[in-house]
Amino acid sequence: MKTPTLKNRFWNIIPALLILFSGSPAYSTDDGVVQIYKNATPPFDDQKQVDAVRPLAVNSVQVTERYQGGHFWTETRKDKLQRFSCSQCHNNKPVTIRRAAEVAHGDIVLKHGSASRPLSCYTCHKKDERDFLVTEQGMKVDMDHSYQMCGQCHFRQKKDWVGGAHGKRISYWAGQRLVKNCTGCHDPHSPLFKKRWPATYSPPLTKNK
Amino acid sequence: MDPRKNNSDQMQIENDCRQAKRCGRRDFLKGAAKAAAVGGAAMLTGCGTNMFGSSEEMSLRWKEYFKKNYRLMTQEEKIETVRRLEQLAKIKKGVNIQMSSRSPIEGVLFGYAFNVTRCEGFMECVAACVKENNLDRKSKTQYIRIFEMEHGQMSPEVGNGKYFHEVPVEDHFYMGVQCFHCQNAPCIKACPTKATWQEPDGIVVVDYDWCIGCRYCMAACPYYGRRFNWNEPRVPLKEMTQKQHYLGNRMRAKGQIEKCTFCVQRSREGRMPACVEACPTGARVFGNLLDPDSEIRFVLKHKKVFRWKEDLATDPKFWYFID
Repeated sequence: MKTPTLKNRFWNIIPALLILFSGSPAYSTDDGVVQIYKNATPPFDDQKQVDAVRPLAVNSVQVTERYQGGHFWTETRKDKLQRFSCSQCHNNKPVTIRRAAEVAHGDIVLKHGSASRPLSCYTCHKKDERDFLVTEQGMKVDMDHSYQMCGQCHFRQKKDWVGGAHGKRISYWAGQRLVKNCTGCHDPHSPLFKKRWPATYSPPLTKNK
Repeated sequence: MDPRKNNSDQMQIENDCRQAKRCGRRDFLKGAAKAAAVGGAAMLTGCGTNMFGSSEEMSLRWKEYFKKNYRLMTQEEKIETVRRLEQLAKIKKGVNIQMSSRSPIEGVLFGYAFNVTRCEGFMECVAACVKENNLDRKSKTQYIRIFEMEHGQMSPEVGNGKYFHEVPVEDHFYMGVQCFHCQNAPCIKACPTKATWQEPDGIVVVDYDWCIGCRYCMAACPYYGRRFNWNEPRVPLKEMTQKQHYLGNRMRAKGQIEKCTFCVQRSREGRMPACVEACPTGARVFGNLLDPDSEIRFVLKHKKVFRWKEDLATDPKFWYFID
């Protein structure tokens, strides 16, 4: 009987090797950008590293919730409202206002909620708490923290907003996180973006088309 | 220096050659280079002032002509070059630009995500990009292209990139395309003069003055991310962004390649690129991939993301995601 030579043994091993490595991909996954960021060692202190970042603007307010990186800030709302506070007019005393018909909220178009169950003024504003918003659970919400109000129904969007997948940061990607409030982009009374013409256009890539 | 001396130099070379009767190409070039150097020096001191503008401009342009590739420059040389370009812009066009050569921030790798669900095709990003990056208004160069796509379409190659009507249109979604700053970029490999490379913060940049305009990179890019200057770029001086970066939005010349740089002049200062800042719907997310707390990392972790033509293994740092 012949003993198997080294060469024969080598050929025997090959099928075993094929089975062994059949699961691993032909390309290398070690050096891709996905691997690079997954290997990134926390923490990154961008406030120290990026020297050109300016400190937070004055008209910002700290959000009551935290995102994965700690506290963050959002734009104030009250200073942008034209006639805040509401209780200047909406109180029990009789007031005389010139041009009251114009000043009253006739310009507001309410287009919020589904067609079968639209929202009314009193869904968010209450007669007894004129300067605040009131949630369905009866919690008073400051106008600057309107995300708490919107988040009752739009909880998915709010979760994304806190994390950073919805909404946008203002001016800086580095430094203290300052994001737009819900009302910074959406009109709370008709929150859907309106149809309009694009800001510019792209010329055709080829002349023939 | 006397220009006549220059002439006599050259004549001497020719005479030498004739006498030796074996004037090799190398000898001739050596002599010619010497003569050219003398001639150049003569020009600097006043000869040809009327033809080439002031002697200051001439001297700046002379130095500019012999500068190194940006990557080989020391920090001092970079600053010197940037100052020179500022002066040249002032002399030639009368604009006060502030050019920077800010180096990449350590521990930063830029990443970008685009929300396909949120984009409504308003094209504010395109307009902002054109303005910020001093893009040619004559040929309407744009780094970003927004494609209007029907539901079910997956690649912008089948989308409509030249729509012009009220947006958004029902049953359509919008997909923006620009340079994806691939980690394994084919354009870099294609460049014969090493005029394009990836910076440590992940931005693929072009040293415009080292570009010879062969457009190999354009052919190599599977995403059509690069733009070529077929004509001398024209930007109204009033609209010119004066805050510039050597690798970013400084003025290009005819025959040079340019591309999106994630607004290197802004992003290295911690600011958002112009497109992100301009986006009215918040469809664009930009941030540091190496920071586990950043928005971009949140998107990559919690959202359904995909990259265009991922099978090409170009490894772009630009993800699309859906809500």
